[in-house]
Amino acid sequence: MADFVQLVILGLLAGGVYVAVGVGFGLVWGVLNIVNLAHGALVIIGSYITWQLFTALHLDPFLTLPVDAVALFVLGYALQRGVINRIIRAPLLFTFLLTFGLNLVVINVLLFIFGSDFRSVTPAYSGQGLEFGSVVIPYVPLISLGVAILLSAALAFILNRTRIGLAINAIAADRDAAQLVGIDLRHAYAVTFGLGAACAGVAGGLIAMSQAITPTAGEPYTLQAFVVVILGGLGRVSATVVGGLAFGLVEVFAQSIPGSGSVFANAIAFGLMVLVLVTRPQGLLGRLR
Amino acid sequence: MTVRKLALLAAAAVAAVACGGGTSTGQTTITLGAPLGLTGSLTKESTLTQQGYNLWLDWINARGGIVVNGVKHPVVIKYYDDTSNANQSAVLMQKLITEDKAQFLLGPYGSAATATDAAIAEQNQIPMVEANGAAQSIFNQGYKYTFGVLSPANKYLEGVIDMAATLSPKPTTIAMLSADDNFSIEVADAINSYAPTKGMRVVLYKKYKNGATNLSAEVQAAKAVNADIVLNSGHLQEAIAINKAAKEQKLNAKIFAYSVGPSTPDFIAALGNDANYVYDGSQWTPQVKYTPAFYLTVSDYVAAYKAKYPGLGDPDYHVAESTAACLALQRAIENAGSLDPKKVRDALAALDVTVFFGQIKFDSRGINIYKPMVVEQIQAGVHHTVFPADVADAQAKYPTPAWDQR
Amino acid sequence: MFLILGAILAAYALLAPLTSLDAAQSANVPLLADRLWFRIATIIAMFIVMATAWNIIGGITGYAAFGNVAFFGIGAYTTGMLIAKAKWPFLVALPFAPLVSAGFAALVGLPLLRLRGHYFAVASLGVGVAVGELVQNIDYGGQPLFGGASGLFLPIYAIDNRGLFFFYLMVAAATIAIAVTWWVLRSRFGYGLIAIRENEEAAAVLGVNTTVYKVAAFALSAALTGLAGGIFSQWNVFINQDNTFPIDYNVQMILMALLGGTGTVFGPAVGAVLLQLLIQFLGGSLPISFDIPFVSADARPILAQVILGVLLVGVVIFVPRGVIDFFGGRSRLSLSYLRRSLRETSL
Repeated sequence: MADFVQLVILGLLAGGVYVAVGVGFGLVWGVLNIVNLAHGALVIIGSYITWQLFTALHLDPFLTLPVDAVALFVLGYALQRGVINRIIRAPLLFTFLLTFGLNLVVINVLLFIFGSDFRSVTPAYSGQGLEFGSVVIPYVPLISLGVAILLSAALAFILNRTRIGLAINAIAADRDAAQLVGIDLRHAYAVTFGLGAACAGVAGGLIAMSQAITPTAGEPYTLQAFVVVILGGLGRVSATVVGGLAFGLVEVFAQSIPGSGSVFANAIAFGLMVLVLVTRPQGLLGRLR
Repeated sequence: MTVRKLALLAAAAVAAVACGGGTSTGQTTITLGAPLGLTGSLTKESTLTQQGYNLWLDWINARGGIVVNGVKHPVVIKYYDDTSNANQSAVLMQKLITEDKAQFLLGPYGSAATATDAAIAEQNQIPMVEANGAAQSIFNQGYKYTFGVLSPANKYLEGVIDMAATLSPKPTTIAMLSADDNFSIEVADAINSYAPTKGMRVVLYKKYKNGATNLSAEVQAAKAVNADIVLNSGHLQEAIAINKAAKEQKLNAKIFAYSVGPSTPDFIAALGNDANYVYDGSQWTPQVKYTPAFYLTVSDYVAAYKAKYPGLGDPDYHVAESTAACLALQRAIENAGSLDPKKVRDALAALDVTVFFGQIKFDSRGINIYKPMVVEQIQAGVHHTVFPADVADAQAKYPTPAWDQR
Repeated sequence: MFLILGAILAAYALLAPLTSLDAAQSANVPLLADRLWFRIATIIAMFIVMATAWNIIGGITGYAAFGNVAFFGIGAYTTGMLIAKAKWPFLVALPFAPLVSAGFAALVGLPLLRLRGHYFAVASLGVGVAVGELVQNIDYGGQPLFGGASGLFLPIYAIDNRGLFFFYLMVAAATIAIAVTWWVLRSRFGYGLIAIRENEEAAAVLGVNTTVYKVAAFALSAALTGLAGGIFSQWNVFINQDNTFPIDYNVQMILMALLGGTGTVFGPAVGAVLLQLLIQFLGGSLPISFDIPFVSADARPILAQVILGVLLVGVVIFVPRGVIDFFGGRSRLSLSYLRRSLRETSL
């Protein structure tokens, strides 16, 4: 029983990172209709910023997260405004290709700047945690999960309660109508992509604490973001939160299959995603649009 | 069709033809070649490999080159970036052979690329000496032109078991975690059959996806069986993830040993104090004591590395084994007294020499099963060799204290 | 005129190897006379097959398959297993690669092709990833069923002029793929597929059995991709999950089709040639070398990758209709063309 509880906790904690990675990816996909293959690369930029601030200035890694968010927002805004906006009316697949190109550029610029060494942020309190009998809840993943939920809540707030958020929602519903009522599409698109990138940056900061990073470390996260967003359902922040936590649980339970079954964790996650798509394309929680 | 388009095409065609035809190498130079993952997911390890090759290159050219029948031949090593992609590695191998007229080949990084390139070397009948593909499956194909200077995968963690058998209280149970790539599986499978011969039991054998970043469930399974020894057969990335999760989830064992990872400076930099007490099976350490027949002594080698690559600390075994591949090739060429690929191949097959890296001698399959592996332990942030006793520079700190008592 | 020139170049490429290899090499005829050329040309032909095959489902039918690499891997493993385990001769084993791939595509196509747009793309990606992992890890009676993590080693094919043989085989596959596309675009079947792309409901109303058409297009695409995989397995001798299920091949084949022009007969092939030549050029494997000033040898490969990325971004932005659009004579590559395409696609 304690073992089961521990696994559930580990799954939810692992889900924190996936939530953070998924919300930005889902926002950009749901609103802008852009499948951002460079999302994982943006995540790793955030990781490197956190690592750099932790190593050079000895800042607490959680305090560096706002820096990640702001830096990536600016980068995301500029990318959308300067590059992606230029092909937004082209067919869907063109955004695949554009972001694939961006992905190559970002990864190799990181490689040029930081080299290929594996880095990780290990603060003094890393590895400590709460203990309830044999069940442990480590602090770093716990705070990370909290940050991810907060991040999602903040994003939901921006989308539902602010002027720019309402504009973004209007675009998601009907781009041309939104333009007719006077929304500055270029700006609103850039803000949306910027917000998505900012979420990626925060996710990257969290990832720098949970694993070792290298310029190519973001690639698995782009793939996992697909699963997270589809599991929950495209188009709502809360659905992505559920998708991320579900993905963490699926991963941990698949990995704890006795024997060598755990190598199928990825296959199970992607198989489940296909199953959800085929039977419930709106996602576990989503609405049909 | 406009004139402009035609001109464009014609220009392209002319450029393709005019610039062709590689410059033929001079009579005296020996050209070696290696495709390496200078970008992409294997950049770190490939860079270490390149450092190892270049260390030897500087040394041999400072002496005027390889001596063949009394004539000195300077050496050139051509590198290409295979973007960590095995299929591209094959293209570049062919490029090295046909275009650059490389007389001999050095290996790429990793078992997958080495397997692909071994087939190319075989088909072109050009000897390839490699130092970074330890999977035995490569050497079980009957290929005659591929030689590996490193100990095969199955030896990686056997040294840890040998060491554990000498410790007291003697650990008896093992939790074996392994990534699912060919190299790691060979390492882990070897332990499954080897441990019982030393009176130990593998109570958990768990494979996970190569490249996994979240290994909390695996660590939890290891905790559930409460094994004395936790072994991981994987790579640097997974070793760091397991060590972090072990601390978070209070997985305490008497021995934590990882096949690949702890030997690199990155492991200590990433984990700080949490890296202490971790063991790894290593092809080579800066503390080993071999008497070289030629080239540098161990301490001179370390010094040469630090002089050429300042700020990177001691060379790790990836660097050393890569240098050793060059040495094997050099000695084989000298012994053959010829640059003929078949004669050098035969000389490689007959080679038996000890250098700073240890004994280099190939079995009938072309892999070096004669050099022992050593066991390293990180103590107070520094690598120490702890086994076998005749090369050790420190005692193993055993047992590993529980996480909350460090 | 473009066609004539292209035909001459293609004829040269195909026929040059036929003239004695030794003679060609001693005459120092560049590029076309050696094993390196065969290897690069075989890879280009392989991508022509994959991009052209993708075009059938992605370009003509409008279903953005993002997991076609699964069929490449299944084809490679089908042939590989038959040769390595069942000891069949290569040419007998090869036809099973397209058959098994097509069968698998029909099986997963039935549920998957009910999805539209993104959802189909992501679902096919999921299938692609899952299949690769299953192939690597499935055990049967404690032994890996498909060679497992060690992959499969095939015996080196015993034939003279091996490079030439596989080059012509892959070129034959590419020719088949292009011929099939040519036929599809002129057949009733093809009209049905285009109708589905333009408006699926309307196509159904007009009497097109959309499910059958879509699944058939998917299976056809898979068969061609699987054929390339089957040839690859014997050519490359060693296969494992890494080299037969690489996720970036998914992106590359789509990239090539878009670059050349989707929905056309020759577009994907042109795209494959251009992109592969670019990749090989930047990677330094072509005989034409280039130097980047002020860059150290260590930074050069990194910069080459950055250049590749920037070029991709630039092409996607400036030539959204594919390069065949102006090479084919329909438009001219000019400033006004670039301005117009930018206006059409940007906000």
